[in-house]
Amino acid sequence: MASRQQDHRAQKISSAIDSLITHLIPENPYEDDHTAELRHDDYASAIKALLDQPSSSSYDADVNNASDLIKRKLIQGNPTQALRFSHLYTRLLSLPVLNQKWAILYFLYQLSDSPDPNEPLPLSPLAQQQQPHFDQQFQPQIQAQTPPPQLLRQPQQSAWAAEPRSPAYEEVQNEEVMEDAPSLEGSHNVPPERPRHGRDRGHTLTQSHQAGPASRDDNREVVHDPSEPALLRDLPFTLQGLSSATLPFLNDTTLKLPPTLPIPIISLLNTLAEPSLLYRGLNEFTKTPANGLLGQSLRAAISKELRSYLTLVATLETQIRRALSELDESAPRGGIGKTGVTLKRCVVWTREATMGLRLMSLIAEESKNKHGGQLITLIHSFSSSHGDPVVAAFAERLLVDVTRPFYDILRRWIYDGELLDPHMEFFVREQNPHDEERKDAKAKGQMSVWNSKYEIIDRMIPSIITENFSQKVFLIGKSLNFIRHNCGDHRWVEDYSKKASRELKYGDTATLEAWIDEAHKETMSHLMHLLNDQFRVFDHLEALKRYILLGQGDFIALLMESLAPNLDRPAGAQYRHTLTAQLEHAIRGSNAQYDDPEITNRLDARMLQLSHGDIGWDCFTLEYKIDAPVDVVVTEWGNRQYLKVFNFLWRIKRVEFALASTWRKCMTGARGVLQTSDGKVLQTWKSTRGVLAEMVHFVGQLQYYILFEVIESSWTELQKNIHKENCTLDDLITAHTKYLTSITHKGLLGAKRRQFPSSTADGSTAPSSTDDDRNSYMVQLSELLRTMLAYRDSVDGLYSWSVSDFTRRQGGLISSHHTRPTSTRDRADSQAASLADSMDLDPPYDSFDSTPGGEAGGVKSEFPALQDRLRQLGANFKTRLQILLGDLAYQPDVDMRFLGVSMNFNDVYQPVRRKGKSSTTAGAAASGGASGTGGQGQAGQGQAAKA
Amino acid sequence: MEKSEKQAAAQQAVDILHEISTLLNCQLDRRTLSICISMIENGVKPEALAEVVQKLREEGRVLMADIEALAAKPNAARRK
Repeated sequence: MASRQQDHRAQKISSAIDSLITHLIPENPYEDDHTAELRHDDYASAIKALLDQPSSSSYDADVNNASDLIKRKLIQGNPTQALRFSHLYTRLLSLPVLNQKWAILYFLYQLSDSPDPNEPLPLSPLAQQQQPHFDQQFQPQIQAQTPPPQLLRQPQQSAWAAEPRSPAYEEVQNEEVMEDAPSLEGSHNVPPERPRHGRDRGHTLTQSHQAGPASRDDNREVVHDPSEPALLRDLPFTLQGLSSATLPFLNDTTLKLPPTLPIPIISLLNTLAEPSLLYRGLNEFTKTPANGLLGQSLRAAISKELRSYLTLVATLETQIRRALSELDESAPRGGIGKTGVTLKRCVVWTREATMGLRLMSLIAEESKNKHGGQLITLIHSFSSSHGDPVVAAFAERLLVDVTRPFYDILRRWIYDGELLDPHMEFFVREQNPHDEERKDAKAKGQMSVWNSKYEIIDRMIPSIITENFSQKVFLIGKSLNFIRHNCGDHRWVEDYSKKASRELKYGDTATLEAWIDEAHKETMSHLMHLLNDQFRVFDHLEALKRYILLGQGDFIALLMESLAPNLDRPAGAQYRHTLTAQLEHAIRGSNAQYDDPEITNRLDARMLQLSHGDIGWDCFTLEYKIDAPVDVVVTEWGNRQYLKVFNFLWRIKRVEFALASTWRKCMTGARGVLQTSDGKVLQTWKSTRGVLAEMVHFVGQLQYYILFEVIESSWTELQKNIHKENCTLDDLITAHTKYLTSITHKGLLGAKRRQFPSSTADGSTAPSSTDDDRNSYMVQLSELLRTMLAYRDSVDGLYSWSVSDFTRRQGGLISSHHTRPTSTRDRADSQAASLADSMDLDPPYDSFDSTPGGEAGGVKSEFPALQDRLRQLGANFKTRLQILLGDLAYQPDVDMRFLGVSMNFNDVYQPVRRKGKSSTTAGAAASGGASGTGGQGQAGQGQAAKA
Repeated sequence: MEKSEKQAAAQQAVDILHEISTLLNCQLDRRTLSICISMIENGVKPEALAEVVQKLREEGRVLMADIEALAAKPNAARRK
């Protein structure tokens, strides 16, 4: 039974052999049937002999893991194919039909990577060289068998034919032929890498033949000390920065290479030493204490990168270990060439890591004297402007970790308005109040909680954030802080931060900007809403304009009227309660009573502290009190500007008032007491009225100009600016400052270059020459105003004289009719009348006739002096006015030029042009005028003091 | 019935193995493959068989080359 089965099997096999031969060997059309049959038989017997050979031991060990062999081979070539193979393999296993699956697989494995049978046989010289040694003995026989042309191909042909006849020999050779095949193919068909890989792992027998052409040269290499395996063994330690026997570290920056090595190896080791030393350095760096959160995060990021480097080293070590364990000691150079792990290969594997380490150590080195935002800028410059994409990508990765604390600070800042920056790394910083610049600004009164709490440090702005963007960020945080601490709106800020807070991260700049824009918009609108509705900034500004800039005419007129007698007295005689009482009266009596008490309550009248001898007019001032959050808009500086403008306007108003009352007196007097037949006196009165009219015109024009051309137009500008869409607090402050500057500038207060320490330092002290240059308008105007007041005094004097003259004449008339002694009583009456007439004016002019009355000569002697004085003052006024007009005519500002035109609309005056600032003539004229009025002023004061 | 099932299974096995052989670049056509499978199933040693296939291939190629050479040469006809 068994034998029959065996027979059956043998029969099957032989028939299979037959079909195989016919299938694989093409039919030769040039051979006759007999030869073909002979050949066929030859093959069949050869095959049978081959098949009957005892199995070589080599595959016994491998038979059961044929699939493993295949899989491993495929993994090296193409992992996806390996996956596909595993699928196929499982499917194959589930099939019931085959019994010898492993054998079939092994068979396929053996046949893998066969050359394409359709390709013609390469005429390989190697193949010819390879075989002659065993061909020769069979040559004659083959020559007989084969046709002559085949002689060309003899070696191969006969080798095959000879085989069956020398089985013992063949066994050895066979192996060689088989194993050599891939190596030969390798050099022709497939890339040399593949066959080597394919065989390396699986088939130890083949190793010596598959090293490829490169490893053939290895035989010639001198074995050096320490050997490459030894170096490889120590390499992982070196890469981790640890000393080893062959490669000891001498110190932190030196690695000692064995001196016995040949130069190529040394150069390889040099390359490998770089990452080792860099690693050591960086490891040290990560252990140094950081000066700030960003420094810490940089260290953390670097140590994270170092960890991944260590992972690489670990992988490398595994590879090295495996390679060393597979090492075939007998092979040339310790067989290192075939293991796939060599020093050269290690260099290649560590190359990218070395780049990273190099970059990191560069950053670490440069970060030592960089701080906060600069650190980010440093790394960002690598990611944004480095040409090597690998470096850029690496820096980008590093940046994500490094910027984390920065974004934390940023988040706190833009969502909570808190500056949480213990190491001063953010680009926003709390201001140092002891700074020199600060002190300067503080002295000028331009400080406020809004702009002096925080400041932006330009050099700390990291380059990941643009200038514009950083301003926005700064503004958001500042506003939130302001809302929380100065407007007392904690709740909103907390709600807002809860609602809007987001995790900020390096990366998507567009989204980040969108978020910040959103935050900016929301914060700003809330802040403006707060200021507008809760703190009524706009109402306050309007009130300031109405009361301090004399916009509310009825109120000011009433106030001036009620205060006038009071203010005529010396400054020392002013009492606060009277002032406030009069203020109250003025408020009650005017339309101001309909204003919000919130606003009118803020008005306060008080006296400025002035030098001795001033009268009330000089030091009276009206004040509008501004409190906490609004004072960021109306700063101390702004308040001072308002005060200055108020004082100036108040003085003009006062002159206007005085002129008006004198004018009124003259007009009423003209119908009574002033009537005289003396032509000289009449002439004097006429010219006096002319000059008075000029002055009234001047003051009227000046007032009109300041109130309408300057204040109203600036106010319109301000309104336009602050009611703009998305106006921020900064815009508001800027607009308001601009408004004030334009008022003071155009309002002839000359605040262009320099601010007065106090606006009231005008009248009493003679201006110095430098002030004269700088604030020429201011000085000129105050001189003009003073001249006008002096003139008015003189007019009052003239009036008194006229009255007394009138009385005297009346008295004379009476005395001629009646008795003389009544004249004294009459004179006393007339004095009383004159006093009554000038009751709300400056001291009555009766000081002039302090000489006992009655003497006509004594009274008469007053007139020429008065006439002279009036003429002098009038001429003085005219000169000054002409100088002023000359200056105005050459002003760059159109409005101011226009003022000159409207004052001199009919060319009554000849504007005097000053030639340059320091022109001698102008200086002389001005100083002459100044000294003249100075004298007059003193005279006037003397009179006032007497009164 | 059973036979056809078996045949189908065998067919499937050959399909799979053919695919594997393609993966492995064995350059075997289906016919050669099925012959080899049947031989191995009948107890032939795979290693030896692989050797045989390779030898035969080589031989075939040599022969083909010769044939082509002969066909190319005019004096080939004379020999016949």
